[in-house]
Amino acid sequence: MKILLSWLREYVDIPEPPGQLAQALTMAGLTVEGLSEEHGETVIEFDITANRPDALNHLGVAREVATVFGREVRRPEVRFTEDPWPAASNASIEITAPDLCARYTGRVAINVNVTASPDWMRRRLEACGVRSINNVADITNYVLLEAGHPTHAFDLDTLEGAKIIVRRAGPGESLTTLDGVERVLRPEQLVIADARRPVALAGIMGGAATEISRQTRNVLIESAWFEPSSIRRTARQFGMHTEASHRFERGADIEAAPWANDRIAAYLEQLASATILSGLIDAYPARRARAAIGLRRSAVRRHLGVEIPAAEVERILAALGFRIQGEPEGWQVTPPTARLDIEREIDLIEEIARVYGHDKFPPRLPEWGGHAEEAENGVPERRLRETARALGYDEAVTYGFIAAGEAERFGSWPAVAVRNPLSELYSVMRNSAVPGLLHAVEWNSNRGQHDVRLCEVGRLYRAVKEGFAEPPVMALAATGRVRPACWNDPGKLYDFWEIKSDVLTLLRLFDGRLGLEPETEAGYYRPGHAAHITAGGRAVARCGELDPALQAERKLRHPVFLAEVWLDVLYGLPLRQPKFQALPRVPAVDRDFSLLLPEGTRFEQIVETIGERPYLVRLEPMEIFRGGPVPAGKYSLLLRAVWQRDDTTLTDEEVNEYARRLVETLEQKLGAEQRR
Amino acid sequence: MSVTAKVNQPLAEVATDAAAVEQLYRELDALFASELAAARDGEELKKLRDRWLGRKQGLLTFSNDHWLKSAPRPLKPAVGKLQNQLKTRIEQALEEQAGRAVQTARSEPGLDLTLPGPERPIGARHPVRIVQEEVESIFRSMGYSVSSGPEIESDYYNFEALNFPSDHPARDAMDTIFITDRMLLRTHTSPNQIRIMESTPPPLRYIVPGKVYRNDAPDASHSPMFHQVEGFAVDEKISFCDLKGTIDYFLKSLFGAAIRTRFRPSFFPFTEPSAEVDISCIFCGGEGCRVCKQSGWIELLGCGMIDPAVFRYVNYDPERYSGFAFGVGIDRLAMLKYGINDIQLLFQGDVRFLRQFR
Repeated sequence: MKILLSWLREYVDIPEPPGQLAQALTMAGLTVEGLSEEHGETVIEFDITANRPDALNHLGVAREVATVFGREVRRPEVRFTEDPWPAASNASIEITAPDLCARYTGRVAINVNVTASPDWMRRRLEACGVRSINNVADITNYVLLEAGHPTHAFDLDTLEGAKIIVRRAGPGESLTTLDGVERVLRPEQLVIADARRPVALAGIMGGAATEISRQTRNVLIESAWFEPSSIRRTARQFGMHTEASHRFERGADIEAAPWANDRIAAYLEQLASATILSGLIDAYPARRARAAIGLRRSAVRRHLGVEIPAAEVERILAALGFRIQGEPEGWQVTPPTARLDIEREIDLIEEIARVYGHDKFPPRLPEWGGHAEEAENGVPERRLRETARALGYDEAVTYGFIAAGEAERFGSWPAVAVRNPLSELYSVMRNSAVPGLLHAVEWNSNRGQHDVRLCEVGRLYRAVKEGFAEPPVMALAATGRVRPACWNDPGKLYDFWEIKSDVLTLLRLFDGRLGLEPETEAGYYRPGHAAHITAGGRAVARCGELDPALQAERKLRHPVFLAEVWLDVLYGLPLRQPKFQALPRVPAVDRDFSLLLPEGTRFEQIVETIGERPYLVRLEPMEIFRGGPVPAGKYSLLLRAVWQRDDTTLTDEEVNEYARRLVETLEQKLGAEQRR
Repeated sequence: MSVTAKVNQPLAEVATDAAAVEQLYRELDALFASELAAARDGEELKKLRDRWLGRKQGLLTFSNDHWLKSAPRPLKPAVGKLQNQLKTRIEQALEEQAGRAVQTARSEPGLDLTLPGPERPIGARHPVRIVQEEVESIFRSMGYSVSSGPEIESDYYNFEALNFPSDHPARDAMDTIFITDRMLLRTHTSPNQIRIMESTPPPLRYIVPGKVYRNDAPDASHSPMFHQVEGFAVDEKISFCDLKGTIDYFLKSLFGAAIRTRFRPSFFPFTEPSAEVDISCIFCGGEGCRVCKQSGWIELLGCGMIDPAVFRYVNYDPERYSGFAFGVGIDRLAMLKYGINDIQLLFQGDVRFLRQFR
């Protein structure tokens, strides 16, 4: 909102330079966003909070200036001559919806000379960002900027039956507003109607048919008070936002309605040589009085933490226009009708605090005898994130929403739809963390970054019977080299074994028996190159290579490896607690076996077939190859077995015997042959 | 027959007198000398030592076992002496050679130390996480617990119980993304104030970090998803001075003791009195620069005393308890702290950006 310094000075003395004024008002809660000089005027741009419609005008700001600096406000005197002919003979006003319109005042001006406004008025309006139209419209706008009460001027001769009826819209009614848009009205919307039809959208915008024109001779001025929520609902339904609706939906001053009407009448007489008929037509079905609010000294102290002198409290409240009556424990305070935001004791305390000055309150730390708790699963989450970073994964954060098509391709359940998405790309809440990371991989690839490792810990979203669930998830994406290429090392590309190893490293932070099977459900993995991992029998993770078709679709240079960890399952397991084991006193003994095995023999089968044996502590695949001297249908495995006894060194003879039996088992049960 | 074959024969097969024995040892000596000359590095020296001095398979073990042990009594002293002399010589030679290898290693020309070594990538913490963890640790040290809460939230918790009536203009400030009529993506972390107070009797101290959503088209300073941390304390004697002290302590811990804080009166439906807090510009120290738009101050967070109307929603007695609450954008803190000029960078996953935070 723009306020002109010269205009403001008509109502209050301001010897301070503009910068100092801006600073003082900002520190009292009227935030000045900018100061500028336009056409010789100092323009102050304010950002007024939603609770202060009373400050959305020059007189309102003048009241604040007077309060802050301890000065007086000079309210303009309103003087005009009334013609003896009663206004009520030329127009009538009826409110049939008193719940939505508490007051409607009207004045009738006749023989109005509609012309251009004088220069001084045009300049002020334009400096405040309001376009000049004609003197009648300009006067209503000028008074709005001056005192804050929205009003409207009707061409009285276009009002059927010279009648104003404030009512709800009827079925099938419509209205073309001043902006030329025809609006179909809903039954609960409040309109100003004449005897026949709606002529204005109450509190928001007038109608085209009753607009003031150069031909207009007689004018009806509306100055009313509308229920804020009704104005806001209607304005929103039509997507409208006007100077009038902005003020009415925040709450106008019901007692300012007659004053604004008189002020306009005075200007019409002065600037449009109008004759003002006698009497204000005032439809005011039930007077709205403000009740006094009790203010306790103890409450001021309790909320603000310091004792503010009683005289200072009284000075502040009086300056703001509150009526005060002393009581033994404090005061009875009656706020002015413009201050709809003041209803309770705490509202008064806020006023005292802001005018007294927030900077005057000393900073203190509150005492505390309680304890502090970690976030739920905060500790395991931190361990996972730390470990992923140690494995070389950069932490990413991606949006919680994805495109519907992505949700269908990557998700395991129907995605929760967003009702008013920003774009198609963000139309559902993610049911998979994969699309977000794939976007990031693609983004990097498009910028020449082909060695990428990203991890994200976040939530997925899912509709459940009781509402929505937000299961936590961790996702990894890796592509390109495991380590950046270097002059002495060309770098190895990420492969399935790397991602599998990363995932198992993460899962092994927890205590649980892990199982691994081929992944068959998720169709976005390369068939046969993805694993489904269980912990204690429950699905806890999957990992593998992205379907090469999807890799090609995104034009990614290297295969992409993904992992998804279902943290809700993982968090059900305890974090592994390190437990010391005595170090072996004698060295282990190992033997390598070069074996030919039938194709299709899985390493796990070999381990299970060998089973538990005396002193056998480890079986490791050292080398696998196919082709060359290896016959078709077979592969060659160099298997290392490691034995260890705690108490004494195993002799060659013992180990040779163990080895012989081990090979014999593999030959008999798996059809292995030992190569010599 | 080579001398390596001869050592596997009993002495009687290869020598019958002292001269022949001496000849045998000379052959061994000569063979060792030639092999030693051929050994180029430590690895080969070790092999040479094993070949000659190995406990089970060494050539000298063979000569000892096959020759010395089978030597007839008259020849035995001579064989023993030759065996020992050769063993000593080989040991000395190997020792000297090893010494020379060390000398060589120490005298070779040095490396080009300026060449880079292979990089071992460690992952970076996301800047939002860095700041979030920092905020958590500052408040944990003041006795605050950490909690989270749902992102898909009801209108009741997000607005109504926070004293935002429906059809109130205060809702305009938070352009909302809806899921259904009554469910939405939380526009701030404040709903968790209500959830926590509903289930926990006072006194309490909590912070709530998390994701929040607004229907703002992405640009350099807007993102439809961003992060906030909410903090609040409720107790019997909490006043506006406690709020000021807590915020001041927090911001000085985060940005350094040199900054100043400024409280400006403001309006939020769920706090009263309400304030916006500015810090003296961390870029110019308050002198005025481009970042602070010449004002010397940077707007940072909103806060206030919890409105008694909010306490009524959670059945706290507003005559007995008072409290304060604040909310701050974590992304904004991170952007200020690291001088990041575009919020979109936080959510693109560009490794050139992320790796700056390693």
